[in-house]
Amino acid sequence: MTDRLTYTELAVLMKKGAGVTVDPRDMEQRPGSAFDEYGLDSLGLLGIVGVLENRHGRALPADADRCKTPQEFLDLVNNSLMTGA
Amino acid sequence: MRTRKARRTVVTGIGVVAPNGNNTEAFWKRTHEGMSVLDRVTREGCEHLPLRVAGEVRGFEAVELIEERFLVQTDKFTHFAMAAADIALDDARLGRADYENTPFDVGVVTAAGSGGGEFGQRELQRLWGQGSTYVGPYQSIAWFYAASTGQISIRGGFKGPCAVVASDEAGGLDALAHAARSIRGGTEAVVVGAAEAPLAPYSVVCQLGYEDLSTVEDPTRAYRPFTSDACGFVPAEGGAMLVVEEEQSARRRGARVRAEIAGHAATFTGASRWEESREGLAQAIIGALREADCAPDEIDVVFADALGVPAADRAEALAIADALGAHGKRVPVTAPKTGIGRAYCGAPVLDTAAAVLSMENALIPPTPNVFEVCHDLDVVTGCARPAELRTALVLSRGLMGSNAAIVLRCSTDPRT
Repeated sequence: MTDRLTYTELAVLMKKGAGVTVDPRDMEQRPGSAFDEYGLDSLGLLGIVGVLENRHGRALPADADRCKTPQEFLDLVNNSLMTGA
Repeated sequence: MRTRKARRTVVTGIGVVAPNGNNTEAFWKRTHEGMSVLDRVTREGCEHLPLRVAGEVRGFEAVELIEERFLVQTDKFTHFAMAAADIALDDARLGRADYENTPFDVGVVTAAGSGGGEFGQRELQRLWGQGSTYVGPYQSIAWFYAASTGQISIRGGFKGPCAVVASDEAGGLDALAHAARSIRGGTEAVVVGAAEAPLAPYSVVCQLGYEDLSTVEDPTRAYRPFTSDACGFVPAEGGAMLVVEEEQSARRRGARVRAEIAGHAATFTGASRWEESREGLAQAIIGALREADCAPDEIDVVFADALGVPAADRAEALAIADALGAHGKRVPVTAPKTGIGRAYCGAPVLDTAAAVLSMENALIPPTPNVFEVCHDLDVVTGCARPAELRTALVLSRGLMGSNAAIVLRCSTDPRT
């Protein structure tokens, strides 16, 4: 288990937190695709941010829950975790 | 005024999720058979509480009926409402193809008595057990009174007027009246009703404060309104959703017109002031008759509120007499909710569903567990009573003091 958030882990979080079933490869292969397209709403993303913050014991940037795409979100989360390490 | 009045509201679909059946057919079968399903409370975390008997919805598999992304962000009261709405829409044969080009023509109205207690309890336990960052964001919407209206609207794509009525148990009838007002104002159809899920630990503990709650252990004796054994009421889960439509619009699309919502009125007489509820309920009946342009002796059956508290039962019997005159002593009165319990705001909508089904089947369902009536009312007990029914009156009161009455007319009435 890496510290970096992967598409696979993001898919698990989307399923668990928001009941959205999504193929991680689909998110990876279509980098421009938005959370909207997968049926994840803003509260769903906010919940995922909360889970990650609790898991890592630290806050993510304030705009984390405003990311529009999985790719944008992964970049932001991973950059934030790297710089904080 | 006259042109607005011309837009009549009719029931075209009935969806029920109740302790005696998770669909409308099962509900009606057990209702007209007079079967009581009141039973010991079995919900986890509730078994040791002083509330011993309730009407539990059993065998309801939300995961089989509702998409996961709606399930995770909603409480059980919304699961019941979404499932009942599906049944009602199916019953009305109102599908997406009928409204996808006109989504603003279809609205949603629900009533709620307490919102999502079970979901709220889980998140509050996380708050105190783990800290505020462990409370999920869906808490902000799931336990809210308006949750069922919002989720039914989003899930079905209904963009017409949406509302939630929080006006006590009688709000179930007020929601129907609100829907009728929307239809008079130009909306073509409204998905309307109420469902509740009050049988979870936090919710049950809240209800223990109600002095009118029955804590009797014997399911056959716990809820006996209009008798000298009356000892309070038994709560229930579930409820009903209806599809109501503007009559001409319903007929144009070939829908089956089941009954007209002909009149409604509501009054308020204060919490637990049952003696005063006599006048409040009588005024509600008179107002509903007036709006329906209905004479008292046209009422063929009364679905009573039947709280099961002696003072409240007396007030209701007197209110019926005050409003209907001599006819009040002759008209058949029934309270099928004694077989399933009171689902708060869902209760009067279940009664409305039962009233429409009674008119269609020419059969007045009985009042289970009630035998010796000690008021001057013709309460239907034992077996269902065959009767030609053209007009029904449904009554409801809430513990906080709301009173409401609604008049329903069967669709074969020559005036419709």
